[in-house]
Amino acid sequence: MIKRVKDYGNALLASKEFRNFVEKFESEINRGISKLCILSIIAQSNSAGIHGYQILKILEEKTDEILIIEEGTLYPILRKLKDDGIITSKKEKIGRKRTFYFMTEAGNKIYNYISGYFSKLTEAISSLFDVQVSLRQDRYIFCPMCANKLDRRDKELRFCDVCGHNIEKELKERSEMK
Amino acid sequence: MSEKNMEKLVKEFLKQVKEKLPEWLKDNKKELRDILDELREHIWAKAEELSGIGQPTEDSIRIAIAHMGTPQSIAKEYKRRGTPKIYITEELFPLYRKWLIAVITIIIILNIFSFIMEIILGDWNWSIDLDIFINILLAFVIITVIFVALSMEGYLPEDFKSKKEIQKEKRELEIAKERGLPISPKTGKPFKPIVKPAEKIVGGVITIVFGIILLTLPFPGIEDLINPAFLLIIRVMGVYIVVDGGIDVIRGILGNQVIIGQQITLVLKVGLAIAWIPLLIIILNSPEIIPIISYNGNSNIWYSIQIPIEYHEAFRNIIAVIIAITVISAIYNVYKAGTLEKYKTKY
Repeated sequence: MIKRVKDYGNALLASKEFRNFVEKFESEINRGISKLCILSIIAQSNSAGIHGYQILKILEEKTDEILIIEEGTLYPILRKLKDDGIITSKKEKIGRKRTFYFMTEAGNKIYNYISGYFSKLTEAISSLFDVQVSLRQDRYIFCPMCANKLDRRDKELRFCDVCGHNIEKELKERSEMK
Repeated sequence: MSEKNMEKLVKEFLKQVKEKLPEWLKDNKKELRDILDELREHIWAKAEELSGIGQPTEDSIRIAIAHMGTPQSIAKEYKRRGTPKIYITEELFPLYRKWLIAVITIIIILNIFSFIMEIILGDWNWSIDLDIFINILLAFVIITVIFVALSMEGYLPEDFKSKKEIQKEKRELEIAKERGLPISPKTGKPFKPIVKPAEKIVGGVITIVFGIILLTLPFPGIEDLINPAFLLIIRVMGVYIVVDGGIDVIRGILGNQVIIGQQITLVLKVGLAIAWIPLLIIILNSPEIIPIISYNGNSNIWYSIQIPIEYHEAFRNIIAVIIAITVISAIYNVYKAGTLEKYKTKY
C-alpha cells in the first residue's frame, strides 16, 4: 500500500525510518494473507484450474488493488505450495503453454481449515480496530474447537474433519435459531 | 517498435532472474525452463493488456517488467524455503550437526595420532598443545559459515540427494506407514531404529573380549614393563569395558521393541561414563606412569619408555579433550534416553 505513494512532501513518509518500518510491517502482514488469498482464488477455480496471470488479476480486482504483490514473486509462492502438496499444476500442451493450477484433495482440507481460522481470527480482533466483521454463519459452521470452516450444505456433516469434534450440537442450535 | 526489441527486453530481464536464482534450482534444467517460461508468458500477457490495443508495445513491456518486481526479489522468494532456526534452517540443522561431529572427530583422531607419532619418532616437530583447539574452532567456524550460506540460499537436505535416494526414502516411509512404525511429526520421515540388534551384539562381544584382555593381560612379561599404578588402572578399565560390552549385548537382545529397557541401559551407560572420569583425571595428573611399549628388533626385546616431560602438557590436553567427550557423551545419552519417549507414541 505504502509503495503506491510516490510523493511524500513533508508528510510522515518522508522519514526514512518511518517508511522502512511501515513497509516492513506491511509486508509481514501481507505475506501470509496473500498466500491464503492465492489459495482462495485457486480453490474457487475448481476443476477448471487457473493460471498465474489470472490469479493476480482476480487478486487485484477482489481486493480493490489493496493487496498487491510483486507479480514475479507469485510463481515462487505457487511452487512452494506445489512442493507442499497443496496445489498441483498442468501445463498447456498447445497454444500459449500456460501453467494451470488446481487444488489437491489435501490442499482443499488445509485451505478450509486455514480460511476458517483466518475468518474467526479476523472476527475476534475486529473490535480492536473498531471494524465490523460478520461471518457467513448461514452457510458455514466454524468448528468451536479448531475453527475449521465447514459447509453447512453438506448433509453428512457430523464431525469436524480436522479435529474430529462432534458438531451436531452446533448444527442443532443453528436449526433452532432459524 | 519491433518485436525483436521487445523480445530483447524480456530476454534481458529473464537472464537477470536466472543469474540471481539459487544454484539448487538452476541445477534442475526442466524446473528452470518452466519458471522462465511462466515469467515470460506473464510479461507478454500483462503487456498485451496494458497496451490497450491487443498488441504489446515496448512501453507496455517495460511496465509489465516493472510490475514483476526485481530479479533479486523473485530469486529471494525462491530461496525462502527452510524454517529459520538460529541462522541455519531447521531442515539443514541435522546435516550441519552431522558434519560438525564428523570433522571434529577426524581432527581429534588426527591430533592423537600425530601426538603418538611425535613421541615414537622423537624428532616430530609439530606442536599440538593448542593446535587441536584451534583446529576445532576453525572447523566449527568454516562449517557454520557454509551452512548459514546454504540456508540463506534456500538449500534443503534433499537438494544434496540423488533421485534414487529420494525414491528410497519415499519407499521407506510407505513401508513404515504399512507396518505402523513411528513417524516423526517434525520431519515426516520414519524414526530410525534405536539399535541395529546384530551390530550391537557383535560389537558388544568384541568389546567384552577386549575388556577381558585388559583385565587379564595374557602377554608374558608385560606386567614387568608397566608401572603398578597404571596396571591397576588398566584392570579397572578392563572391568569398565567388559560392563560396557555387556550393556551393548543386552541392548542388542532387547531390540527396538523394549523402549523402557533401552532407556534403562542408556542410563547405565551414563553411570559408566561418570565412572571413567576419576580414572581419566588420575591419568591426566600422572603422565609419568603411562608406558610406551616398543620393540627393539636388534636385541629382540620389548622395552618401555615414559612420555618425555616436554610432551606432558600436550598429553594433558588430549586427556582433557577425552574427559570433555566423555561428559558430552554422558549428557547425550541422557538426552537420547529422553528422546526415546517419542518411540512409545503410536502414530
